Amino acid sequence: MMNESVERRTVLHDEHLALGARMVPFGGFSMPVQYEGILKEHEAVRKRAGLFDLSHMAQYFFTGAGVAEWLDGLTVNKVATMKPGQARYNIFTNEQGGAHDDVIVYRLDDLRWMVVVNAGNAVKMLGYLTPRVPAGVEFVSKHGGNANIAIQGPLSERLLAPVAGADVASMKYYACLECAVDGVPAIVARTGYTGEDGFEIFVEGEAAPRIWRKLLAAGTAEGVRPCGLGARDLLRLEAGMPLYGHELTEEITPIQAGLAWVVKFDKAAFPGKEMLRRQAEADQYARIVGVTSVEGPPIREGYVVKYEEMPMGEIRSGAPSPTVGANIGTALVAKAAAAPGTRVTVEIRAREYPAEVVALPFYKREK
Amino acid sequence: MAQPQGLLYSKDHEWAKVDGDVATVGITDYAQQSLGDIVFVELPRAGAKLEQGANAGVVESVKAVSDLFTPVGGEIVEVNPAIEGDPGLVNRDPFGEGWMFKVKVADLAAQRGNLLDSAAYEKLVQESDH
Repeated sequence: MMNESVERRTVLHDEHLALGARMVPFGGFSMPVQYEGILKEHEAVRKRAGLFDLSHMAQYFFTGAGVAEWLDGLTVNKVATMKPGQARYNIFTNEQGGAHDDVIVYRLDDLRWMVVVNAGNAVKMLGYLTPRVPAGVEFVSKHGGNANIAIQGPLSERLLAPVAGADVASMKYYACLECAVDGVPAIVARTGYTGEDGFEIFVEGEAAPRIWRKLLAAGTAEGVRPCGLGARDLLRLEAGMPLYGHELTEEITPIQAGLAWVVKFDKAAFPGKEMLRRQAEADQYARIVGVTSVEGPPIREGYVVKYEEMPMGEIRSGAPSPTVGANIGTALVAKAAAAPGTRVTVEIRAREYPAEVVALPFYKREK
Repeated sequence: MAQPQGLLYSKDHEWAKVDGDVATVGITDYAQQSLGDIVFVELPRAGAKLEQGANAGVVESVKAVSDLFTPVGGEIVEVNPAIEGDPGLVNRDPFGEGWMFKVKVADLAAQRGNLLDSAAYEKLVQESDH
């Protein structure tokens, strides 16, 4: 009889239990999938604000003069051109141009960097990066002991400002800085995974429960809610953001995933660079597209997409979208079926339902 | 919510309210809570004949698809028209307005042995919560 592996806990685990969260295993951690309910939490983020515990994601700290050049040699986006106080989305690639992981790189100052890695890829990435760290670069991995609290939604700035020791209101999107939050040293970044305005607060674990409780207490009267992974997945899907393992994998390249904007060919060599260049130029590749259906059941991962009665691919992510008012999903389809407006069908429990290919994202917030 | 009296329950968390030879069927409060926000329900068509415990459709929440079974077998005589446009009705009022379909039962006495009364169902629910 196999022993079940015991999940790790984030420093906010007890907070989630006290709030009545339903916990699920995710990326090796016990995480809240929902508190009040996915739809209520989704609405809170779109209309007001939500708090997320993202402490299951690994925080890698790199220090040294050689960090930028080293990371440039492993990723698709430009690292050396990042200024202190900037964050940037990036992807570590394999030799075929597929993705090891998608990450956000934060430049804290000239020598100090943070890279946040998907929880489910942490073991892989630690194994991949550790032997490659060059002399002169220090690498410290924090996974679980540190906290990452995200505030997402239109009220985020108003909620964070009173407890932040810096002018967070003036932060540009994808800026990052170091300041005190509730009197404790923190990294604050104007980043997120929901398509709304928001911030991520990185602090050492000990201070996190107090900050979490303080933010919740301050925001509850205005409808700020704790939000789980269920809402997080729905929000990012509506915003057209990839989820590793679904729209981006070791096999599905950034080019295929619609992330050509992240891939810079006018930089140093990185794994798979020439493969990606040829793939982009030939433009014959199967690609991730959006799919919507207005009649029938939600479209879900694994359902077959057919174009002119031929199987063309499978749904990679799917959910009913409250914001769009339709069933939405992503699919990897052959180029012939990929143009927005293409009529396709989705096979659900042995029946074909009409659907349409649409460009991503499904939702974009008003600026 | 304490389990309403006067209903019969299945181990799959459905309830049946018998009135003569017609049973009204739905899912229990425990079921709707476990599922979370219900966004889509597929119900049997009127006229369909189902055996007790047979697959009767699906109940879909945001994250998952769950099979629906009928606690009593017979002919489907009515389907709740309100659910298609408002699947959340099942969450809000699982024992009332969220009823799903009605079955004309030919042999309830024979089927009763496979069903639980409210006390037995309550026990099942307590044991299900860990």
